Amino acid sequence: MKELATIRFIGIRMSRDFITMILLLGVPIILITVFSIILGEVEGLSGTPIRDETVVLLVLGFQLFGGAITMNYVHQDLFAERKNRLLSLPMNTTLYGFSIMLAGIIYSILLGIILITYTTMVFDVNWGNFIWALLVITLMSSLSSIVCLVFTFSVKNFKIAERLSEVYGVGMILLAGLFFPMPDNALINMFNDYVNPLMLAYSSIDQVRSGGLSDGWLYAALLSVLILIAFGLLLLTGRRRMP
Amino acid sequence: MTIFRFALKRILRDKTNVLFLTLFPIAAIFLPTAEDGWPLLPLGYQYFGILLLFVSIRLTSIMIEDRQKGVVKRLAAAPVSHFNYLWQNLLAFSVIMIIQIIIIISGGYAYGHELYEPWNLTILYLVFMFTAISISLAWNSLYRSKESSFLIFMAVIVLMALLGGILFPVEMMPVVFERIAVIFPTYWLSEGIEWIVFGEDRGDFLFINGVLLLYALFFLIIGSIRRIS
Amino acid sequence: MTIASIKGIVKRYKHQIALDYVDLDIHEGEILGLLGPNGAGKTTLIHCLMGIIPFDKGVIQLFGQEGAVFHHENKKKMGLVTQEITVFEELTAKENLEFFAGVYGLKGEEKKQRVKEALEFVGLSSKAKQTPNKFSGGMKRRLNIACALTHRPKLLIMDEPTVGIDPQSRNHILDAVRKLKEQGTTILYTTHYMEEVQSIATRVVIVDQGQVISEGTVDELINNIQHEEKILIDVNDATMIPIDRLKSLEGVKQVQVNGSVIQIISNAGAGNLDRALSIVKETSGVVGIQAEKPNLEDVFLTLTGKQLRDGEDDPS
Repeated sequence: MKELATIRFIGIRMSRDFITMILLLGVPIILITVFSIILGEVEGLSGTPIRDETVVLLVLGFQLFGGAITMNYVHQDLFAERKNRLLSLPMNTTLYGFSIMLAGIIYSILLGIILITYTTMVFDVNWGNFIWALLVITLMSSLSSIVCLVFTFSVKNFKIAERLSEVYGVGMILLAGLFFPMPDNALINMFNDYVNPLMLAYSSIDQVRSGGLSDGWLYAALLSVLILIAFGLLLLTGRRRMP
Repeated sequence: MTIFRFALKRILRDKTNVLFLTLFPIAAIFLPTAEDGWPLLPLGYQYFGILLLFVSIRLTSIMIEDRQKGVVKRLAAAPVSHFNYLWQNLLAFSVIMIIQIIIIISGGYAYGHELYEPWNLTILYLVFMFTAISISLAWNSLYRSKESSFLIFMAVIVLMALLGGILFPVEMMPVVFERIAVIFPTYWLSEGIEWIVFGEDRGDFLFINGVLLLYALFFLIIGSIRRIS
Repeated sequence: MTIASIKGIVKRYKHQIALDYVDLDIHEGEILGLLGPNGAGKTTLIHCLMGIIPFDKGVIQLFGQEGAVFHHENKKKMGLVTQEITVFEELTAKENLEFFAGVYGLKGEEKKQRVKEALEFVGLSSKAKQTPNKFSGGMKRRLNIACALTHRPKLLIMDEPTVGIDPQSRNHILDAVRKLKEQGTTILYTTHYMEEVQSIATRVVIVDQGQVISEGTVDELINNIQHEEKILIDVNDATMIPIDRLKSLEGVKQVQVNGSVIQIISNAGAGNLDRALSIVKETSGVVGIQAEKPNLEDVFLTLTGKQLRDGEDDPS
């Protein structure tokens, strides 16, 4: 499985990609810090400090953008400048694509862990069960990478794929009502309850945090269903586009 | 006016650009008014300043592209002054953003939004537009790649909006943050919006616009230094 | 022995024919120069040979196996130096080589050794721990070549490996290609610089508009288009020269004396320079010699009616 062995090098490349690091780690740290200071210890209607709600949503929200690194590397290596060289190598390019995806997911999870640790230690944010939070972060990171790859394979112009990935991230945050409250519309509410990965992930963590383990499982299961659907689309689109 | 004409052509040839430039101001018109009394203007009008910042960084990025591809070097060798290159490009960006401002103000008026003083709001947006273009120009001059510049600036915009009182009222923030808020141009935009809603002393409105124009001038000077490579 | 044999390959891009029934053999141990202008189909041919793109018609035999271009076992015996610099900018030179060595199945000590050798071979040992974004254009090109060498390919395909670099780096690369040949590597070298092909290739194939229009050694190609050889010898005393003896040399058509210069015109391929010179030297001192001979550029011009660098961008 020499394709999987390339994960090491993909990891090294990602760790030296400072712009991505600033965007996926530096920016959230700054935003979380600013938000945490502004929000202070104010309690929300549910009794949970608003800071805990906002910070958890922010960390999960940034996971929506984690797939950007996966799609960029897949594009660079298999569709752009390095395509011919990598195709000339004695390896299975589909497996190599999966290696990139795996590396991207691990990278995003690691950034998530750093953010969870930072928010817990510095602002005493209550994440409930750490292992559970990690599981949810893993699901979010996997979903983001898969969705971004579906975009990469679905459209010919990579710039449009990038815009779609931004629409995915910003759109979910917008629908979750993080920028401003969404109108009380049945369709939007249903979307947020059953489809919006950000809300599913948040609800899962929130339920486990407040003792509702079974509901926590339910939301995680819904998130997993989304992953399965996205993975199905990935196989369909990938088979058509993979070089 | 060749540079102006071609700057416009280049911007409008990119289909995503055209979509981005027209769809967002139109969508902003239809955003609702907050129920709890803040923001004071309908949400689309409160956040329009953020959109202006996004649009300006996107538009000015063609100047980084010119630097990356050596067009600036070529122009330096042509009988065109750098000043000419600069103002014609800035004029092209301004024309596009002025159209957006006209769309949102006239659209809001037609839609029936309470905009208090639409003419003064137009002036405020126009002045902030110049500030936004200047900031983007200065920001871009720090970068070699338009992608890095754009991505990091997105985060800076969110921070400026947050700390300048566009997303939260400044009064809600801790004292230190409240004090440092004045250094962000976005603070003066939200102050301007407040003036438009409550309309007190006209001198205040002039002062707010004056500060924004000073910012525009400051960043314009930084951003207009010619960087060939 | 033939290690790659291409027969009747056709490749179309929509309505454009990139390769039009191309036949080509690559023999073991040779440097085969693939010469043609931009857009001639060189890169497309290479990509078909490497199994990077499928072709519409024809057969490619690699290492004696038919239809084997997509087999990983064959890819392991081949190396591709791409026209573009396709190294990883975020990895150091050494890490780049380790990546490619790993993909070619090298492990442990052997991998370490091969990486070290490849770095030495292209003269980048001192830069092993630096990332390529700090390299000059020539250094990047050398690293680009080294990435295809760690697994010691039997057949190395180099697609315009010297584009856009300084003469010093070009010479370094050409020397490296010669050394590889000495070590037994077969090389397919594509370029549109005829000086390069003339200096390193053992055999040349000229392609234009997707077709092979001529092939042979440089001398053979030149002889094919040359109708006569002209030798000019400048001597101290022309009156003493035995003109009749010169005229009696095989293939000589005409001998003329113009002042101190003796002009000898022979049939193409007569190769009379040495013989004529020794006859002249017997009776007079020689001041200068000039043998007018066409080069590959002339060959190309004769065969296609255009200059080598006239073409358009490669469709691939």
